[in-house]
Amino acid sequence: MFEFFFKYRPILFEEGVFAFRPTVATYVATILVLVAGVITFRTYQLVRANSRPVDRAVLTGIRFLVLALLVFCLFRPVLVVSRVMPQQNFLGVLIDDTRSMQIADRDGETRAAFVTRQFGGANSQILESLADRFAVRLFSFSSDTNRIESVDTLTYDGTQTHLGQALTRAHEELAGVPLSGLVVVSDGADNADGLPPDSLMPLQAAGVPVFTVGLGREAYTRDIQLTRVDTPRSVLRGAALVVDVIVAQTGYEGQRVSLQVEDEGRIVADEPLILPEDGEPTTVRVRFSATDAGPRLFSFRISPQPGEMVTQNNVRNALIVVEDTREKVLYFEGEPRWEVKFLRRAIDEDDNLELAVLQRTAENKFMRMGVEDAEDLAGGFPRTREELFKYRALILGGIEANHFTPDQLRMISDFVSERGGGLLMLGSRRSFAEGGYAGTPVADVLPVMLDEVTADGEAAFFIETDVRPTRPGASHPATQIAENEEASVTRWPELPPITLVNEIRDVKPGATTLLTSGDQSLVVLAFQRYGAGKALAFPVQDTWMWQMHADIDVEDQTHETLWRRLLRWMVDGVPDQVVVATPQDRVELDESFELTAEVDDANYEEINTSQVSAWITDPDDQLLEIPMDWTADRDGEYSARFTPRKGGLYEVRVEASNDGELLGSDTTYLRVAPSESEFYDSTRRTPLLERVAEETGGRFYTADTVDSLADDIQTVGGGVTVVEELDLWDLPGLLVLFVLLVLGEWGYRRVRGLA
Amino acid sequence: MRPRLFVRGVGLAATFTVLSLTGLWAAGELKPIRREIGTTNAAQVQPIFRREDVRPTLKNPSANAREFFFTRAVYNSGYRWSSWATDYPKADRQFLVILDRLVDLDSYERENAVRLDDPKVRRFPFLYALEVGDMYMTEAEVKGLRDYLLAGGFLMIDDFWGTWEWANFESEIRRVLPEYPIVDIPLDHPIFNTVYNIEEIVQVPSIGNAQGGRTWERDGYEPQVKGIFDDSGQLMVIINWNTDIGDAWEWAESPYYPLHYSTYAIEITVNIIVYAMSH
Repeated sequence: MFEFFFKYRPILFEEGVFAFRPTVATYVATILVLVAGVITFRTYQLVRANSRPVDRAVLTGIRFLVLALLVFCLFRPVLVVSRVMPQQNFLGVLIDDTRSMQIADRDGETRAAFVTRQFGGANSQILESLADRFAVRLFSFSSDTNRIESVDTLTYDGTQTHLGQALTRAHEELAGVPLSGLVVVSDGADNADGLPPDSLMPLQAAGVPVFTVGLGREAYTRDIQLTRVDTPRSVLRGAALVVDVIVAQTGYEGQRVSLQVEDEGRIVADEPLILPEDGEPTTVRVRFSATDAGPRLFSFRISPQPGEMVTQNNVRNALIVVEDTREKVLYFEGEPRWEVKFLRRAIDEDDNLELAVLQRTAENKFMRMGVEDAEDLAGGFPRTREELFKYRALILGGIEANHFTPDQLRMISDFVSERGGGLLMLGSRRSFAEGGYAGTPVADVLPVMLDEVTADGEAAFFIETDVRPTRPGASHPATQIAENEEASVTRWPELPPITLVNEIRDVKPGATTLLTSGDQSLVVLAFQRYGAGKALAFPVQDTWMWQMHADIDVEDQTHETLWRRLLRWMVDGVPDQVVVATPQDRVELDESFELTAEVDDANYEEINTSQVSAWITDPDDQLLEIPMDWTADRDGEYSARFTPRKGGLYEVRVEASNDGELLGSDTTYLRVAPSESEFYDSTRRTPLLERVAEETGGRFYTADTVDSLADDIQTVGGGVTVVEELDLWDLPGLLVLFVLLVLGEWGYRRVRGLA
Repeated sequence: MRPRLFVRGVGLAATFTVLSLTGLWAAGELKPIRREIGTTNAAQVQPIFRREDVRPTLKNPSANAREFFFTRAVYNSGYRWSSWATDYPKADRQFLVILDRLVDLDSYERENAVRLDDPKVRRFPFLYALEVGDMYMTEAEVKGLRDYLLAGGFLMIDDFWGTWEWANFESEIRRVLPEYPIVDIPLDHPIFNTVYNIEEIVQVPSIGNAQGGRTWERDGYEPQVKGIFDDSGQLMVIINWNTDIGDAWEWAESPYYPLHYSTYAIEITVNIIVYAMSH
């Protein structure tokens, strides 16, 4: 329609410069027209007849418009455009070679099939029209960019879309030739490097426009996707994992499905869910236990539903290293208490927790249980950081603050903030404010507010209460005392009442309350992150009632479950002296990645001068040593780069030593496998493709609008160009306007009876 | 047996029984209040202490939040009515005074007696029972004690002597824990070193025998410490046989009771309590 009236395509008007090209005859004719105009004006002034002033004004106006149109045409308006010279320029066509191109979301046709049809060979319409005008150079891109002769060589098995890198590579390759532009044919899905901000600058500077052709739908009509699964990289064996899975869907609203978790093929959880509204992600909390030690591949999946357009995004994999270690916990108790007996019994059969108990039986007389040797803790509570920091968690029972030296109080604080350990304070007459902790460094660590206790003769606080979980406590891994959240929430208030002697009503900003008294006025369990570690306040003095009370069946495991989960959560993520990290649990074959290690001495102070090596065992059990160097960016941080050449599971063990003495070691695992990420969020990313086109002066197309690509590039593209002037005086639209004005004048006269 | 001899025998036995009971009553040990213990045999009625007279109620604010209660097991007994209450409450009180001085333990300073068939017994994970040679538990008591021990409670047995009383106790405890054997506790067991180092098992005599001469009663010549352990190897019951630890607390202040017996009795009981509270 536009071209019918305006003779040329809109892009010419956008890109062209408007100008007049008058001649001498133009000026003569213009004078004649002006004279005619003056005559017209005078005539309308003189002729009165039975016309009103309004009629005369309208008729004069129309007549002037007609004359103005004539003058406009007489001045010979032109559109000055710069057009690419045919066959004088090159054009780079970059075609997405990733797995998401296999998705069939265009009337059953895959995105790859569209590419083959339009860019495939002699009969391909787009490629043919491009080849008529340009010297076309084809590139494929995924995680790498390669020159190809034909799209027939594309395999569509790339696992990442490095769009920025592809543009840079193609531009560099075509740097020595006149380049009209680059065409990107892609869905824009999983742009792995997020299109670095400066990646378009060379193109902008060189005036190379990028024309993007977006494939695929912007939204699926029927699809279920596991958008995100957050799992820890390592857990203790037997740990109860609570994992949030974000599920999004379209077309299946309200449908019941189940989310299954598999541990190396064995189903360990089956969580039913009702699918949320279209496009509204929902979080599904799923619980399972990691019972087998070693690197385990956990799969989270929802079975493909009938009519689903993309089924590959129904599953997410996560590599979790299940550690079979014994984590040391120190429990310091200031007096013989039943908590000691029942806590020890609760975790007695947990092979991954090792509880050392130091119990004061009389002044300066201690009983030790679960210690390493005769010397361990023989002098009472640790006096050196090294002695204390070998534990991962510390429980303080009924021990008053005065028992500790100021150094020891500071050390307990550092145990949490610097060593990253877990601290738990139990309720008693000798703990919290009642134990004189207000104003000490330990009070800073605790998640609760400690009010100074005044000796004003008030009766000591005492309350017997049942317990209930808060909203965070309902789903927190430390407070899961039953097989699922619902059962756990129901179970808590059913437990027998316990007693509190510490009146704690407020937690600090940033702390989380997990359990409260039945009337919700008192804090029963709260925690906060403090520095590198975490601190918990559990002001109950007799959790053993949840084991001994007559209402509790002798076979009941609630008390055991609570303490195991609580302590496991406390020691979870507590760092060793050497901690190795990789950016992800999976990398691509031949993809270089950075291995980092944090190295501390026994006091958990960073060391920059230690000798650090990574021992990497590949899937064929070949061992390779890679030295790691201090990064100089951060104290205690060492790094090395590694490129895996085989697919499969790699073991990475990092050892650090200082002056010949081993500081420690840490092991992690890494999967070298193709990514499934191309199938997630695999709808067309129009905004990204539009941005690339817009910022470089190109255009964005879809499969339906791509027909004008060749013509547009010829108009917009760079390279060797020629300036053309396109006449506008003969636009059909102007003629139509002229006729309409004349007819309008005639019609007005007829209506007003002036003809 | 000739009829005359039989009649004489019965007569003698009846006379002896009446004399014994009268003597006991006259000694002021019992108050003449009859009360039923147990629920299984309504006809089984015996006099006991009025519990409201001798047992502190935990509604007493001073008992709030206390960590340790020296708790006596109130059980049904046979011919010696209320044998559970032997030395009660003086022994308990004297021991608690000493315990408070020796160990940094938040203990309630008064005696505390709880029936085995009372669910409240589960509030007190330490139980003391003595004179178990005359223990005849009701079914409800058997169940109460079994659940108590399996849930994590600890039972200290004291003051029973000789083969006959052992046999009675053994048959009673078999009703409670038929699947767990009674074993000797060797001297190198940690319970003998928890707070004090106990190097030998001492036979602690009753006040009557402490003045010199023999320390044994009946045929209980050799003191023994035995125990019952659960599946995890945790001690549930400690059995002090052929010894009377309770009397040594009760008469600790007496100039006529040898101090070394009281010392031993207190040391081993402190060890037992601290061990029970930590293992």
